[in-house]
Amino acid sequence: MSAIALTIDGLSVDFGGFRAVNNVSITVFDGELRVLLGANGAGKTTLMDLVSGKTHSTQGKVFVYDTDITNWPEHRIARAGIGRKFQIPSVFRDLTVRQNLQVANCRNPSVLANLRFGFSRAEASRVDDVLALTGLEAEHGMMAAYLSHGQTQWLELGMLIVQDPKVVLLDEPTAGMTQAETRKTAQIINNLKGRHTILVVEHDMGFVREIAERITVLHLGEVLAEGSVEDIERNPKVREAYLGSKGIS
Amino acid sequence: MSIERKFQIAAYMLFIAVIFAAPVFGDEFWLNRISKYLVYGMLGVAIALTWGYAGILNLGQGLFFGLGAYMLAMSLKLSSLTSLQQGSDRPVPDFMLWNAEPGAPTELCCINKGSFLWLPFQSQSVGLVLGIVLPVVIAGALGMLVFRKRISGVFVSIITLALVLLVRLVMVDAQPVTNGFNGLTDLGWLTIGGIEFDPYSRATYYLCAACLSLTLIGARLIVETRAGMILQAIRDDHVRARYLGFDVSLYQVFFFVISAGIAGVAGMLYVVVAEFASPTFMDLSFSVTMVVWAAVGGRSSLLGACIGAILINMIEAEVSETEALVEAWKAIIGLIFVLVVLFMPRGLGGVAHDVLRWFVRRRKLGKAFPALPQQSEAL
Ligand SMILES: Nc1ncnc2c1ncn2[C@@H]1O[C@H](COP(=O)(O)OP(=O)(O)O)[C@@H](O)[C@H]1O
Ligand SMILES: [Mg+2]
Repeated sequence: MSAIALTIDGLSVDFGGFRAVNNVSITVFDGELRVLLGANGAGKTTLMDLVSGKTHSTQGKVFVYDTDITNWPEHRIARAGIGRKFQIPSVFRDLTVRQNLQVANCRNPSVLANLRFGFSRAEASRVDDVLALTGLEAEHGMMAAYLSHGQTQWLELGMLIVQDPKVVLLDEPTAGMTQAETRKTAQIINNLKGRHTILVVEHDMGFVREIAERITVLHLGEVLAEGSVEDIERNPKVREAYLGSKGIS
Repeated sequence: MSIERKFQIAAYMLFIAVIFAAPVFGDEFWLNRISKYLVYGMLGVAIALTWGYAGILNLGQGLFFGLGAYMLAMSLKLSSLTSLQQGSDRPVPDFMLWNAEPGAPTELCCINKGSFLWLPFQSQSVGLVLGIVLPVVIAGALGMLVFRKRISGVFVSIITLALVLLVRLVMVDAQPVTNGFNGLTDLGWLTIGGIEFDPYSRATYYLCAACLSLTLIGARLIVETRAGMILQAIRDDHVRARYLGFDVSLYQVFFFVISAGIAGVAGMLYVVVAEFASPTFMDLSFSVTMVVWAAVGGRSSLLGACIGAILINMIEAEVSETEALVEAWKAIIGLIFVLVVLFMPRGLGGVAHDVLRWFVRRRKLGKAFPALPQQSEAL
């Protein structure tokens, strides 16, 4: 068995009596793509907040490989190898698409190390590769603020790819996308598969079938089930709690 | 290199050439006045650096300007003739004697309780060095406190605003050491390497022009570095920047400190040119005025903010020649500010940028259809 990339161990958070995430334990193997499923308000985003340091947990631990990153400041968690895409796409709006990727390409985060001009040929070609992968070549000189919703999502994905974290957290990367856009996003994510360990929140079952290996279902802040796509689709508890109301589409 | 890039470099070079050529056009009094405006130009750059590039609106930039000014003014006060004529072998500021307790020794060490603070300033180098070091250290400490706590936006503005008012109060209150409301007047001349900087001389003007040019070029270069780009990224979305692994507060502190250092140097130059330092430098209105200069000139354009500062002051000087307009000036500048904020939020620099882009696009169109006769004629 390969190494465990991400360990979430008994993680909980208490928002003044309300446990949005309650005693959640998940292990994700190196190179695995894990889908996090769950109804609105199940605690998926909160779980990502806890892992990436945006919210401090009140109980439990998080490890990236062997490093205990529980409740570290965000930038240190990022440096430890966790990258994150937000549910509401967030990019640097007043920078060009290329600059957005270049910022993600500054490997040494210290101020003094970045007091220099330009990028090496290797660094530049890396940015070009990601522009091609995300299909943003034509927009490379455009201000990120002027991108369409889908393009903004791809740019953020591109920044993650350039950043090259060991573990990638993706929060609803296809939210608000057209079918064509969703398909392209699946392509990009499939391209990441194997090279990164990925934890992705997704609602679109078609999309999930296209990318998923294993699924973890979250319900009311707790892990309800875990298994392959078929296991989950057949699981009566899941049908009752989450899929029953809407059915699997 | 893109046309826009070439144009930018040309604009900087042209500006620097103009300020260095200016002494040909006026007498010494005019030159002295323009020197002050160049100093204001430095303040414009300092504001644009934090406001435009870091999204930090410092409403207390006058603090760093004032500290720089006072540090050098203390040294220059001690090298003035009057300070040497107070009946001691060594210089003592005249105002300390006016208020001295009867029987107090006429010595810096002990004429009053705080006068010993002046001892190091007998050397001009101390004033010069502290004029930049003190603003930098205070900005660093303040920045660490504020940005580490992730205070941002309007709260930073309020804190800086409160701090400049607080320090102003202390400066006025510490009358025995600072001469309170009256500030430090009757100063000697700055002397560096045998050159005396007579405030009405070309040497002093060139000193200001050189400092402004270096500030402009230096600031421009530093925002062109990767760190400058990361700073702008942080301005746009500090959360995103954090998740890319950047320690956001360090970048903010770094550029905040640079801005404070520029303001400190500007404060020193102002003292050399105007021959006084006063608590009015730390008036709220002065700090707000700087922000207006930068807004009109274009907060995201270093050169724009600099030219904004100089232009507004030139206009103000013209206007105040006319008796009737003197009173109205505050209203006029207020109106200009409102209009700029409403109709050209990126200021003059933004307008210049748009005009340039328009020309570039036209030229590209012209090149794309060279066969069209009217178009090539139009170019
Ligand atoms: N900072 C917070 N304070 C209080 N409640 C919160 C906070 N953040 C999230 N919650 C609550 O936690 C629950 C889970 O939210 P979230 O993780 O966003 O769900 P999901 O992403 O699965 O739709 C919701 O009921 C939400 O209202
Ligand atoms: Mg969510």
